[in-house]
Amino acid sequence: MRFRFTEDQTLFRDAAREMLARHCGPEVVRAAYEQGAGAPDAWRHLAEQGISGMLLPEAQGGLGLGMCELILILEETGFAALSEPVVETVAVAGPLLEECGATALLARWAPAIAGGRARVGLGLDGQPYVEGADRADLLLMERAGELHALTPERALLTAQASVDGARRLFTVQWAEGTGTRVAQGEMAARALARARLRATLGTAAQLIGLGARCVELAVEYAKVRTQFGRPIGAFQAVQHKLVDAFAALAMARPAVYRAAWSLDRGDPEVDLHVSMAKAQASDAATLCTRSALQCHGAIGYTTEYDLHLYMKRAWALSRAFGDSDHHRARIARQILGD
Amino acid sequence: MKILVAAKRVIDPDARIKLLPDGSGVDVQSVEYKVNPFCENAIEEALALKEEHDAEVVIVSIGPDDVTPTIRSGLAMGADRGIRVESEDAALDSDLVARILAGVFKHEGDVDIVLLGKQAVDGDNNQVGQLLAQYLELPQACFASEVKVSGGSATVTREVDGGLETLELPLPAVITADLRLNEPRYASLPGIMKAKRKPIDELSLADLGITDTALKVEVVRLEEPPARHAGVMVESVDQLIDKLVNVAKVL
Repeated sequence: MRFRFTEDQTLFRDAAREMLARHCGPEVVRAAYEQGAGAPDAWRHLAEQGISGMLLPEAQGGLGLGMCELILILEETGFAALSEPVVETVAVAGPLLEECGATALLARWAPAIAGGRARVGLGLDGQPYVEGADRADLLLMERAGELHALTPERALLTAQASVDGARRLFTVQWAEGTGTRVAQGEMAARALARARLRATLGTAAQLIGLGARCVELAVEYAKVRTQFGRPIGAFQAVQHKLVDAFAALAMARPAVYRAAWSLDRGDPEVDLHVSMAKAQASDAATLCTRSALQCHGAIGYTTEYDLHLYMKRAWALSRAFGDSDHHRARIARQILGD
Repeated sequence: MKILVAAKRVIDPDARIKLLPDGSGVDVQSVEYKVNPFCENAIEEALALKEEHDAEVVIVSIGPDDVTPTIRSGLAMGADRGIRVESEDAALDSDLVARILAGVFKHEGDVDIVLLGKQAVDGDNNQVGQLLAQYLELPQACFASEVKVSGGSATVTREVDGGLETLELPLPAVITADLRLNEPRYASLPGIMKAKRKPIDELSLADLGITDTALKVEVVRLEEPPARHAGVMVESVDQLIDKLVNVAKVL
């Protein structure tokens, strides 16, 4: 297999990186953390760049691209700690509705998703909370193997605390009915399973970006913070810690890219590949945050310091859609049998 | 209407650069290049005029093959085609760049507006636009903060000391862009995909009839700025004034 992205794919990433650097800097992440402000400017630009509609069919105003194109951009949204439901809305919602054969619903919502006018909340089995349910325009909920769609006004939302102040978590109580049911049976089960894979893999990509951001912050700090008359980055103990974190990221990244390739091509081992990606990305990001925190010392833990914002997001996402233990158990079952 | 936009690549302004040991230049090994920010403003303005007046926008850049991504970047934003003039960075100065752009202007034939950044953020020379206007004997408006085109003329607002100056120029004309002229758009994904199919012509200096490649500016030596010393915290305004008077001797 050739593990290299095309020139277009890397240019897409660069375009997203440039936009996020300008519209989702630490001050925006802090506003999201302290005031739940989201990142509306970045969200608008994602739509203007065509990113919001990447996975939507061309007939519905999308670009008809795949996870291999989106994965690098999701990594950048992690690097920027974008506080918007990009995984749920961009990576999951469109393909889920399409694979469920929900043509009318897709025709209704695709233009709004591609245009950045709609955010989607996702409630899959195994996830007790729905992120951003209060701001979502559409909730896609799994219940008993069926997919339901509803607007938040039809549900009772109860806010829940998160380790990351920028994540707005809610329990969603709602009553199902024929008006909410989108798909059931075999088709729904298959589409929901793939939706879970997309959400898990998208989160893994964001974790890679978050880990890279934490390492970058720690490296910059190690170059300027002096102790015993020289920068702390000159000490081998600090160097090794940062190198280990960097190496863990470098090992996890190809697993994420491979899983994206497997999803796009319907690889029969895609479940295994996505679990490998999430397990490695969760572990790598956690190691990066710990190493960065150690290099910074106490200041890294203060909420006034930017590292805190990225670290908390990484902690939250490392557990979202299955933590490392959960995915290791899945891998074990797949290679050893039940 | 045809608009010619000059685009230069510069070393990433946010990168920390190193000088070569002999001070003859900047070490460009493993540096990243970006489009000069002022050139991005020029491209954006050309695209805005294209949308308003159905113009053709042509991006021109001068340099080796690795300036092609700079041209592609403008094409991804929405320009129609590109021109790369083969040269080496070290073989260029502001004067020769202006003469090359004048050659491209004549080669194209029917250009109405030449848009450039007011300066590049690497050399900060701020000379090419003015020299180009002189070589072509065209009216010029530098440091534009607003451009309006109507009929056969352009109305350009410039930021000058103490206020704004408005000029009216008959076309064709040379206009250089200031940062406040506009906010450059981001390349869209469809734009990036289309850019690959847009043509980029490659021209040599000989194609443009340029035989005199002598430089008028010689870079003698580059030096790092002196290292800054640590500051001193003072306890009060009185102490600050005392230090400014008696230590720094600036008051």
